Amino acid sequence: MSIMNLNSFIYMRHELVLVAVILLFLLAEIVVGSKNKNFTVNFAAGLFLLATAIGFLPIPYGEMFGGMYQTSEVNILMKNVLNVGVLIVFLQSIAWLKKDENEGRITEFFLLIVSTLVGMDYMISAGDFLMFYLGLELATIPMAALAAYQVYSIKSAEAGIKLLLLAALSSGIMLYGVSMLYGANESLYFADLIQNLSNNPLNILGLIFVFSGLAFKISIVPFHFWTADVYEGAPMNVTSYMSVISKASAAFVLMTLLFTVFKQLSQEWTYALYITSVLTMTMGNLFALRQKNIKRYLAFSSIAQAGFIFLGIIAGSQMGMSTVIYFLAIYIFSNLAVFGVAGAIFNQTGKESIDDYNGLYKTNPALALTMTFGLFSLAGIPPVAGFFGKFFLFTAAMESGFLWLTVIAVVNTIISLYYYLLIIKAMYIIPNDQPIEKFSSDFYMKAGLILATVGILSIGFFGGIHNYIFDISFGILN
Amino acid sequence: MEQYIFYILASIILVFSYLTVTSRMILRAAVYLLFVLIATSGIYFMLNYNFLAAVQLTVYAGGIAVLIVFSVLLTSQLNEKMEKVTPVKMLSGGLIAFAGAILTISTITQYEFVANGLAELDPSPKAIGYAMLSYEHNGYVLPFEVISVLLLAAMVGAIVIAKRPAKLLNEDATEVDMSFPTSKDAYKSRTKEEIDSLLK
Repeated sequence: MSIMNLNSFIYMRHELVLVAVILLFLLAEIVVGSKNKNFTVNFAAGLFLLATAIGFLPIPYGEMFGGMYQTSEVNILMKNVLNVGVLIVFLQSIAWLKKDENEGRITEFFLLIVSTLVGMDYMISAGDFLMFYLGLELATIPMAALAAYQVYSIKSAEAGIKLLLLAALSSGIMLYGVSMLYGANESLYFADLIQNLSNNPLNILGLIFVFSGLAFKISIVPFHFWTADVYEGAPMNVTSYMSVISKASAAFVLMTLLFTVFKQLSQEWTYALYITSVLTMTMGNLFALRQKNIKRYLAFSSIAQAGFIFLGIIAGSQMGMSTVIYFLAIYIFSNLAVFGVAGAIFNQTGKESIDDYNGLYKTNPALALTMTFGLFSLAGIPPVAGFFGKFFLFTAAMESGFLWLTVIAVVNTIISLYYYLLIIKAMYIIPNDQPIEKFSSDFYMKAGLILATVGILSIGFFGGIHNYIFDISFGILN
Repeated sequence: MEQYIFYILASIILVFSYLTVTSRMILRAAVYLLFVLIATSGIYFMLNYNFLAAVQLTVYAGGIAVLIVFSVLLTSQLNEKMEKVTPVKMLSGGLIAFAGAILTISTITQYEFVANGLAELDPSPKAIGYAMLSYEHNGYVLPFEVISVLLLAAMVGAIVIAKRPAKLLNEDATEVDMSFPTSKDAYKSRTKEEIDSLLK
């Protein structure tokens, strides 16, 4: 156990900087007031850009508070990836926030998002189950308020209450599992659990309950029932935040928990992952095929993507971990590109049906092109990064001997190819008498879309990125 | 003797928990919940965790239950009964709950709990206070502080939901009913045009 002094607070810089950002938001709201929209959005985006930049500074890592908080190189990398994702979400939200319906509630949006991000960071860095649970709650409760942001819309209110109630239920189940682990092992610290966790029924039940709690956050089948309704009801930018950042952080945490705390039970969780992974990929794809609303469509597409993530986790190797992180980073950029375009169109026209995208290329070629890159990447078509992500995932699963799972995944990729191409066909080929008119987005939206596109195009081509992630990853520790 | 008290408390918790979720009058459900919370504090007293029991009584039974009753009074129509649960739902829900209970109980009874060799924890408020502010192993100052961030975020979230859009407040807000619908027939989404006309 390391001695703690004031200097060691630098380990916690991501969280501390974000808490400072929250306080500055509040202060700016008091000093400047909510009338000056331009100042508010510029201040928020600028401040968050600064926070993101601070996250990239190279500094030491270690543990604090008697092992309750810990950082490592791979934790810091994940937090930085999340920060960049949130920055893009912010840029894409500004046009929507400036609309009349959000008058007097711009700062609140930024504040709630940053506080959920603090929760995710604490969850990633948790060294015991208490901090882990607190981080999870901090990442969930403000999210319900965000989902209900459009107070005049019944659907949005429904999304908020659904998320809150089902999240409470899943937290309850998870806490019960944690209490079983505590009862069997007399400690909540991960470090103690790693050493003591043995293969007895109580521990296995604890594992299943904790797994269910996180599977709810990642919307794994059969814990996915809330996803489509909440995604559809929530405002577009909140949906994009939920399906990208929230899901990526929970998937990362689930992986580290399984690889460290539950490594003795790897045989048991392999079964759980195998079954849920197959179910998730297949159900997500089959339901995505028949969606007409772009948000519901993307909800099921993101469920299917979560099934692919499990391929890397189930591999259990160093390769598996690095590909999951790599895939998550690509997934964040690809999904943000698609959601960004959908959001830009919704802001301008209020249209969110897939049929409305017919003939989009004729009027708005830049948006159509961005959307194409995003969809190609989600589908895994070669030139863009998504291909490398999926390719590495399949390789990792094959290397660990999961042949049939990989075959099922490949079949699912082909199914997904079909419905991703449906939108591309709509944009380029299907003629439309009244296509969405030509419009120009504001500077922030353009910046957000360009950032996402650059991410999609560049991650795949710089081999160094994957090598770096591979070096700092670990498999099931033995 | 202690066993009897435990079984009495446990049966109170079970019965009133059941009533809480099955009652169709929302205020009654809230009152049943109050009994559950009080009986839980009784179990803490039995375990000699006096401080925790007192907190349970003051915060949960005293504060939260009253808060729930207040919010029920403010938001819903008291005479209205909640929707009747269909037999299919009741049966499927009951079956799943029963299966879950069987699984959990059988697992827990399979496990042999052995007393550990650790020294007994000191449940005095003083020890709890020290642990709450300690940053060593088994100290809880970090979660204690993180909870304050959670409370801040939850408060902002509650304000966001409760606050009407400023646009509507500036103009003649009284004529526009923006409250959440309380009766069943009000449950229909507003169309895009209606929203636009509200926001104009």
